[in-house]
Amino acid sequence: MMIETRRNFHESLRRLEEQTLGGLDLVVEALDRAVEAVQFQDVELAQMVTADDDRIDGRYLEVHQGLLSLLARQAPVASDLRLVAALLHTVRSVERMGDQCADISKLIPLSGFEAPKDKEMLDAIARMGLLVRAEVLDSRSSFAERNVDVAGDLLRQDAEINSLNRAIFRRAVEIGDNPDLREWGMFMVLVARALERIGDNAIEIAEQTVFVVSGLFREFPDLPNTAQGKLGE
Amino acid sequence: MNVTDSSRSETTATVSGHEVVAEHLNAYYGAFHAVLDVTVTFPANEVTAIIGPSGCGKSTLVRCINRMHEEVPGARAEGSITLDGHDIYDPAIDVTTVRRVIGMVFQKPNPFPTMSIFDNVAAGLRLAGAKRGRDLHDRVEQALVAVGLWDEVKDRLGRPGIGLSGGQQQRLCIARTVAVEPEVILMDEPCSALDPVGTLRIEELIDELKSRYTIVIVTHNMQQAARVANSTVFMLDGELVEHGPTAEIFTQPKDERTERYVTGKFG
Amino acid sequence: MATAPPEANVLLRKTAGTRRRRAVSRAVDVVCTVAALAAVAVLLLVIASVAVKGAPALSLRLLTENPKVSPFGGNTGGIANSIVGSVILVVIASVIAVPMGVMVAIYTTEFAPPKVATGIRFALDILTGIPTIVIGVFIFSVLVVGAHQSGWAGAIALAIVELPVVARSDQEVLALVPRALHEAGVALGLKRWRIVLRVILPTAAGGLITGAVLGVARVAGETAPLIFTTSVFSNLGLTTNPSAALPNIPVTILSLSESPSPKDHAQAWAAALVLIVFVLLLSVTARAVHERSRAKLRG
Repeated sequence: MMIETRRNFHESLRRLEEQTLGGLDLVVEALDRAVEAVQFQDVELAQMVTADDDRIDGRYLEVHQGLLSLLARQAPVASDLRLVAALLHTVRSVERMGDQCADISKLIPLSGFEAPKDKEMLDAIARMGLLVRAEVLDSRSSFAERNVDVAGDLLRQDAEINSLNRAIFRRAVEIGDNPDLREWGMFMVLVARALERIGDNAIEIAEQTVFVVSGLFREFPDLPNTAQGKLGE
Repeated sequence: MNVTDSSRSETTATVSGHEVVAEHLNAYYGAFHAVLDVTVTFPANEVTAIIGPSGCGKSTLVRCINRMHEEVPGARAEGSITLDGHDIYDPAIDVTTVRRVIGMVFQKPNPFPTMSIFDNVAAGLRLAGAKRGRDLHDRVEQALVAVGLWDEVKDRLGRPGIGLSGGQQQRLCIARTVAVEPEVILMDEPCSALDPVGTLRIEELIDELKSRYTIVIVTHNMQQAARVANSTVFMLDGELVEHGPTAEIFTQPKDERTERYVTGKFG
Repeated sequence: MATAPPEANVLLRKTAGTRRRRAVSRAVDVVCTVAALAAVAVLLLVIASVAVKGAPALSLRLLTENPKVSPFGGNTGGIANSIVGSVILVVIASVIAVPMGVMVAIYTTEFAPPKVATGIRFALDILTGIPTIVIGVFIFSVLVVGAHQSGWAGAIALAIVELPVVARSDQEVLALVPRALHEAGVALGLKRWRIVLRVILPTAAGGLITGAVLGVARVAGETAPLIFTTSVFSNLGLTTNPSAALPNIPVTILSLSESPSPKDHAQAWAAALVLIVFVLLLSVTARAVHERSRAKLRG
């Protein structure tokens, strides 16, 4: 009958992981609201998202501090050490994702107060939002379950996101001839870019999952039209 | 993950070193099988740490290397241990020679209480017959310099060895071991009886000594093994479970049991 | 009767039976102290009566002159020859017993297999317990029968008594030398005997001296072994040749006390005083050396 040793340490580590992954839930919330705000040109909702980013930043600081403290006091090694390193990367990604959502919502009041509509554009944005949402949730479960296969699947999702990004860019160029829509269109391009960045961060979290499990740090191979490709053709 | 072993670049610049190889080593205390079929190489001019829970056989393994294991009534060892390819259990060689060439430092510092600092360091030289006079004095000074004690004791070489602090006494014992110019130094938990500062000084010393000797250190302090050793051996219940570069053992051990031990998931 | 409220200060609270336990504790204290005092008192009484009875007859003449039998009976001289004789006997006995004791001790602690060591220790313990008169008779039968009494016989008998005392004490002392010192020597590649000679013995030196002194103190006053081996003296002058029987203090005390002359009795007391003083000095010296060597080992 073995007594479990270092209970406090493992308990603390587990809690920090929970907090980090919980940060992803906060991100999803912010993402949903930001996309909705874009759909309906809802300035108030947008301001809520911007304000709530403080929560995500706070979460980042808390987890970061906790991890440093754990490193100093517990001298983690082997799988514990890899987890701590991965969490440091992951929580940073969480923080960045929160910033992206805040960026999106800051764009809305700038893009005018009437609801302009280009249905095609809005549909693309909405679809992109859903895909990114799914990607973020998948990265969360991949990390939580240490599931490397789900991590791999994210690449496929990311490809679709990237092609939507390009489509939105093309659409913005198309509607650019219409002076009423031109400015709004450019802001939508920036929104799409922010969404695409959120997706990139999700991919990085998946890479951390691979690291925790195998100890190998491998960037997911460059597919054509991958995250590395950005707006290039 | 690329782990560079900085000591390897040092080796080529230093004196050619001496390697100890154990092959299918089995050690017994009477009927009790303490070391089970262990095969391991201790590379020249490197520090190899042996870690594992109490009773795992690490002290026994190390005492087979300088043949002190056989001093225990009822104890015996089977298998082979070679130093640079020469079998140390060869009946043609004198066991006391083995111990002069493979020195040992113990957990509790044990300077000879009736001897002065100088006499302690000279003990191995004098009592083995040869040295005297100027030559002896030089050898003693060299040894004390090598362990970083010379400046602290050069004005009181005639004072009793046991008058020094714990950390100094341990360094004195290391000087005594080093004075007879061994090729390998075995250390059985050398810092267990010392305070943290004394421990760190010994660790610095070990780092310096490895350029001239091959060092094997048994320690129950994993962090010490992590700090001090080029490679680490993990033993459990008499068996060698895993052996690899220290950085690897502590970031990505291959064996589940090693993982559990170093992360402290069992004591 | 109102019961007192429980004491608020936990430290002052008395539990049930406290008073009784305190009484028992004090009683045990008293009994032990009385016993200790009694033991010391006995020692003081012995020394005191010997001193009181012996002091009057103690004089330089007693210590430096040989006995002279007066025509009226009794010894009008001194006991110088007995003192010299005793010293010779004890010295010879110690020259035999002390080195042997040290070597036996070294053998059992360093070289003997455990079972053999235990056997030797047991044998020495039995030897310590053999009544000295038996040893005296034994030596008588071996060395005196068919020959004559001699100082050698007496010294050998004393040596047999002294040997186990020295050996056992030395064994204890050598066993106290930390194993770590052995290990250090072995790990340095030193030969066994070198380690014993240059490390173990010097470390145990104080204790070994104590062992020797204890042995000497033990046999200085032994009477029975000497009665059968060196109690018939050919002359009353100073003899130093051990091939003849040597006069010695214990036997002299015996013969003086059996004499009809009260002067002789007084001399017997004086001789006893000399003996006690000698043994006391040895014991005190042994203690002092022992303490000093222990302090050195502690560093």
